[in-house]
Amino acid sequence: MSLVDKILRKVAQLPPFPVVVQRALQLVANPNSSAQDVVDVIQFDQSITADVLRLCNSAYFSLQRKVNSLREALVLIGFNQLFEIILSRQSSHLFSGPSTGYDLQRGELWRHSVASSLLSGIITKRLGRQPSPVLFTAALLHDIGKVVLSEFVKDYFEEIKKLVQEKSVSFSDAEKEVLGIDHAELGGRITEEWKFPKVIVSSVRYHHAPFSTSDPDETVRLTHLCDVVAMLSGIGGGSDGLFYHSPEEILNHYRLNEEDIERFMIQLEDQFGQVKELLNVT
Amino acid sequence: MKIIVSIADMKVTKNAEDTLITYSLGSCIGVVIYDPFAGVGGLLHFMLPDSKIDPQKAQKNPWMFADTGIPSLFKEAYKLGAEKERLEVRVMGGSQIMDGSGFFNIGKKNYMALRRIFRTNGVLIRAEDVGGSGNRTVTLEVSSGKVLVKSSGDEVREL
Ligand SMILES: [Fe+2]
Ligand SMILES: [Fe+2]
Repeated sequence: MSLVDKILRKVAQLPPFPVVVQRALQLVANPNSSAQDVVDVIQFDQSITADVLRLCNSAYFSLQRKVNSLREALVLIGFNQLFEIILSRQSSHLFSGPSTGYDLQRGELWRHSVASSLLSGIITKRLGRQPSPVLFTAALLHDIGKVVLSEFVKDYFEEIKKLVQEKSVSFSDAEKEVLGIDHAELGGRITEEWKFPKVIVSSVRYHHAPFSTSDPDETVRLTHLCDVVAMLSGIGGGSDGLFYHSPEEILNHYRLNEEDIERFMIQLEDQFGQVKELLNVT
Repeated sequence: MKIIVSIADMKVTKNAEDTLITYSLGSCIGVVIYDPFAGVGGLLHFMLPDSKIDPQKAQKNPWMFADTGIPSLFKEAYKLGAEKERLEVRVMGGSQIMDGSGFFNIGKKNYMALRRIFRTNGVLIRAEDVGGSGNRTVTLEVSSGKVLVKSSGDEVREL
């Protein structure tokens, strides 16, 4: 069996992604869906419902009154935030283990993922766009490929490192050269397997090469930008460091400048301090 | 005790049993100062070059910026008995994306800002490990003044 086949076999062994999250994503992305639609979908899952209520009544939200039902929660915090909470809570266990190949301690990859998802909100706001649950999801999941690839990166680390340090090859290109597949492409396969919408799949797949896809959806480019700012901040940075490319067009494309990037980092630091408690990342 | 310095954070100590550590400096910069005579050590992890971009933030958290964080680091070390002439200063971090020559060069700007501040105040750098694209983790052993740096995928080395 070839190495790539071995890696892909691991993808098939991953647990399925909770269906409730997929349904919730469909609803939140559709402006015609009603609060009742949302409640109908989520209330089936008792553990998610209990989790949402517990969080809504925690100090994090400091809501004025006790929240007793999903419907109340929805009214108080809004569907977008409700979705973000559910997605984050259902994803954290996937990312929380150590990723030894990337020299990431337990929880570090999750911190990087959360930072990227927070940046999606910060950046869309700066661009005067509506918050996008699809972008939030893509940003949160962009490095999911690392979860599977980590053990293989570990076994072949010296070869990968040699290409990166001596030949100035980016870390993901080196993964592809040595292992036959890189963590971005692998993440694309994983999100595909999990039946995420096409745009999320390509955003994950191209997060290190945002202009090499013909997908016109801005989510692809924005996911890349979220990742770059998270990497610059150093949150959950590992052995791959900042050994990646980022085309200059990306800033021109959105008419952003260096100062905007600095402001993103400041806001990220602010928000990260707030969610730490909520998401149990320390 | 192991004391963790987070992003936009600073710690000083004169307890010989302490180790100061900061993880994963991307474009951020870590400044370590150590007075072997007084046994005082300090570590600053700043994120951005200039507080002018957000003076309010700088008031709440001076360690976010080079121009407010560096003076604060030295001042706090002086309070514990450190003296400028004796300080050993080491600088780490300031990385960038591989082709970050044009846009994402916050790492370089951070380093330039630090150099400017050091020059105006006559501070000399004993050793440094800056630039490139690696993530660095920095440790200061207060008992010995030893500074250890681990950069992406490399072995730990003494600086
Ligand atoms: Fe990545
Ligand atoms: Fe990433």
